[in-house]
Amino acid sequence: MSAKGTARTSGSPEFAWRRLGHLELDLFVGSLLNDYQVFGVRQQRARLGYAEINDPSELILDFPPRVHSPKKCLFPNWEKLFRFRLGGKVLLETEAQIPPRIVFGLHPCDLHAVRILDDCLLEGEADSTYRSKREATLLVGVECQPDEYCFCTSLGTDRAVAGFDLFLHQQEDGYLVQPGSRRGERLLERYASRVTPVADPQVPRQEKRARRQLRFPVESLAPLLGDVYEHEHWTEIGGRCVGCGACNLLCPTCYCFNVHDALDLDLQGGERVRTWDSCQFDQFTQVSGGNNFRPDQSDRQRHRFFRKYKYLWEKHQRTACVGCGRCARECLAGIDNTEVLNHLFADQLAQETKSSPGAEYQPLLAEVLAVEQLTEREKMFRLRLPEPISFSPGMFMEVSVFGLGEAPLTIASPPSQQREIELVVRSKGGLTQALHRLKPGDSVGIRGPFGNGFPIDEFLGRDVLLVAGGLGLVTLRSLLLKILDRREEFGRVILLYGAGRVVDYLFQQDLKRWHQGDELDCRFSAREFAHQWGVTVGDISLLFRDLDLNPIRSVAAISGPAGMYRHVNPLLFQLGFSEERVFLNLERHMKCGLGKCGRCQINDICVCQSGPIFPYRDVRHLREAIER
Amino acid sequence: MNRKRVGFFDLTGCEGCQLTVLNLEEQLLDLLEVIDLVEFRELMQDQAERLDIAFVEGSVVKPAEEERLRAIRAKSERLIALGACAATGGINRLATLHAPDHLWSSSFGRSEPLWEMGTPRPLAAVVPIDGEVPGCPIDGREFVSILQGLLMGQELEIPTFPVCAECKLAELPCSFEQGAPCLGPLTRSGCGAVCIRGGDVCRGCRGEVDNPRSGPYHRILEEHGWQVEQVLAELRIYPHQADGDDDAAAD
Repeated sequence: MSAKGTARTSGSPEFAWRRLGHLELDLFVGSLLNDYQVFGVRQQRARLGYAEINDPSELILDFPPRVHSPKKCLFPNWEKLFRFRLGGKVLLETEAQIPPRIVFGLHPCDLHAVRILDDCLLEGEADSTYRSKREATLLVGVECQPDEYCFCTSLGTDRAVAGFDLFLHQQEDGYLVQPGSRRGERLLERYASRVTPVADPQVPRQEKRARRQLRFPVESLAPLLGDVYEHEHWTEIGGRCVGCGACNLLCPTCYCFNVHDALDLDLQGGERVRTWDSCQFDQFTQVSGGNNFRPDQSDRQRHRFFRKYKYLWEKHQRTACVGCGRCARECLAGIDNTEVLNHLFADQLAQETKSSPGAEYQPLLAEVLAVEQLTEREKMFRLRLPEPISFSPGMFMEVSVFGLGEAPLTIASPPSQQREIELVVRSKGGLTQALHRLKPGDSVGIRGPFGNGFPIDEFLGRDVLLVAGGLGLVTLRSLLLKILDRREEFGRVILLYGAGRVVDYLFQQDLKRWHQGDELDCRFSAREFAHQWGVTVGDISLLFRDLDLNPIRSVAAISGPAGMYRHVNPLLFQLGFSEERVFLNLERHMKCGLGKCGRCQINDICVCQSGPIFPYRDVRHLREAIER
Repeated sequence: MNRKRVGFFDLTGCEGCQLTVLNLEEQLLDLLEVIDLVEFRELMQDQAERLDIAFVEGSVVKPAEEERLRAIRAKSERLIALGACAATGGINRLATLHAPDHLWSSSFGRSEPLWEMGTPRPLAAVVPIDGEVPGCPIDGREFVSILQGLLMGQELEIPTFPVCAECKLAELPCSFEQGAPCLGPLTRSGCGAVCIRGGDVCRGCRGEVDNPRSGPYHRILEEHGWQVEQVLAELRIYPHQADGDDDAAAD
């Protein structure tokens, strides 16, 4: 045991420590035997193991981590839940009290394991069979020395500061005994009363060295596993496993069990018992009818790892593994938790670093093919992309000018086989002004596409009402051109478009063509008076007058400035539109497009991931969705 | 409760399984309070016309045994193979590894057959069976619980996990660590790892688990530096699934 010379821990001041020599310890254990059932490690058959101690000389306190877990003292493999009598009326017999017990010699990892059993078995409807044993049992910890399979130091379970009634710190001529509870202190007072308390207890802080280590922080375990559910390594492990369940049966925290009835010989009564079970066994996930919903050994091994390091971590904020190494130490197939986890971690790291850091933020360069001045303030750019993209109308790109930054821009052109897209930029700040200076042949940075567009399939066969305000027409142009592409697959198409002035209208060529053609019904409004095209003067809501649509077979797409939705949505519902057939374009300032930066968040959802196109039904409950 | 009529029968075997039943002694006396024992050659001379449960020990070897087994089947509600010989052919199946004249001469010093003998077969090769009590010999405790289950009308269930599990529960040192190859990882548990407890290795008397992981097992043998074929040849006293069921399949 390597002791770090100077570093010393002070004991808990609230309890009185005592120093017991070997003889005094024997006397202590001997007198406990009068009143307690005492368990501890002793020689049995060919190996050491926890069993009942009948004489202090049997008790071994210096033993290797190979010894099977003391779990059985609190959660035995064969445990009676209750007795019943048959014949006539069924009678359930009540349980006698558990006699007071002491378990001697739990290594720190095994003390941590008891806390995990507590987490799992006492939460919610507490398991009273476990609780009765737990409450009747005092736990006495003892210092240990890791062997080559231990990896407690990676999990922080190599030391116990709580969770014991007494803890034995080995010293040259005996043990310095640290009470960890009032019960433990009273035990010393009563059964080692002739030993005086130590005034200023100090124990050298022992440096533990575990050869096996996790090569990453324990906090990364749950997220790591979340990313490797489908990893091929599980297949490799499953192909080695013989399904013997040793890993579970030796684990100090595995607590899954089976329940069955054991009958008396006279068949007049019996007991319902629980026995340890294993998620590695064939019948563990078998259901009536013979189906097995985790039939493959790979899935079972993965389940074991996920239970230990992810599911229970997420529930209780500690791994359900204490790094005792028992599973690996006695696995015939040599399945070793640290090896498995380190392999998965290294592999995951390699995957992530294959591309350089920040790669997801790095734009590709697109070529400007054409620039069209749409209005005083808006220009449309036709870009040639370095690689083809696939998107649905409503999705957006992040466009970069190096030195000025990046901005999200909705794609104005319909999806096509071409590697070309059209974007509309309103000149406003430095970045958009810079974009406006681009000429054909120039390069521009581009990332995407991002977001979630219109579900075209839901529009098929239906009448389509498009309501656009100002710049909002950019988004609907993509959708409308897509619809016109496959015009015969849709019903009536109506476009309502409003803007401040007629000169602000975007895509005037398109509008003229649509207005004159017979493929769709266009209606326009402008707040400022103009003598053109029979434009209605005033707010876009005026265009809803005389709208003869059958809401049952219609779907609506709305895109405009924030304030527009407040007026338009009620009109749609008055017409009888259903909430799942009204799609809104709720753009925010989407900075990263990856659902990370938080800039585009509406309450709990990220627009760049779930939107910007939403069915009204999905955002109705979000207070921040629509300006009120 | 109407007492179930229970009988014990033996074909070719050592009768060690019936002896295990007799060795239950006091437990057996208690059981006799809840069953009606109607036929048991080792204990009595009666013969029954109808049985609720027939336990049949031994393999079908002589042609006459086939007829006898069919007759037992015909008069029994449920027929249970008692022990390895009845369930899998057991040790008797070793006879299939040698020519008949070799067997006659090595056992009886003469190469002509003393009586008519066919290939040793498990009961299921001749008649449908309703379950088995595995083992050579059977485990007394398991027999009791299977009988109780039958009396209560439960589905007959035997463990589907390997002996290793029971070795761990009994905190026995692993045979592999002791340098001895062992069939525990493939063999159906339920015996309490009695052979390992006694200092031997598992020789697979209870038959393989439903889904034996032979591939991983062979790999483990190799990783321990053992020749798979050699180990299996040495350990395999009892038939295994891989041995082929040419004539062991039910009719």
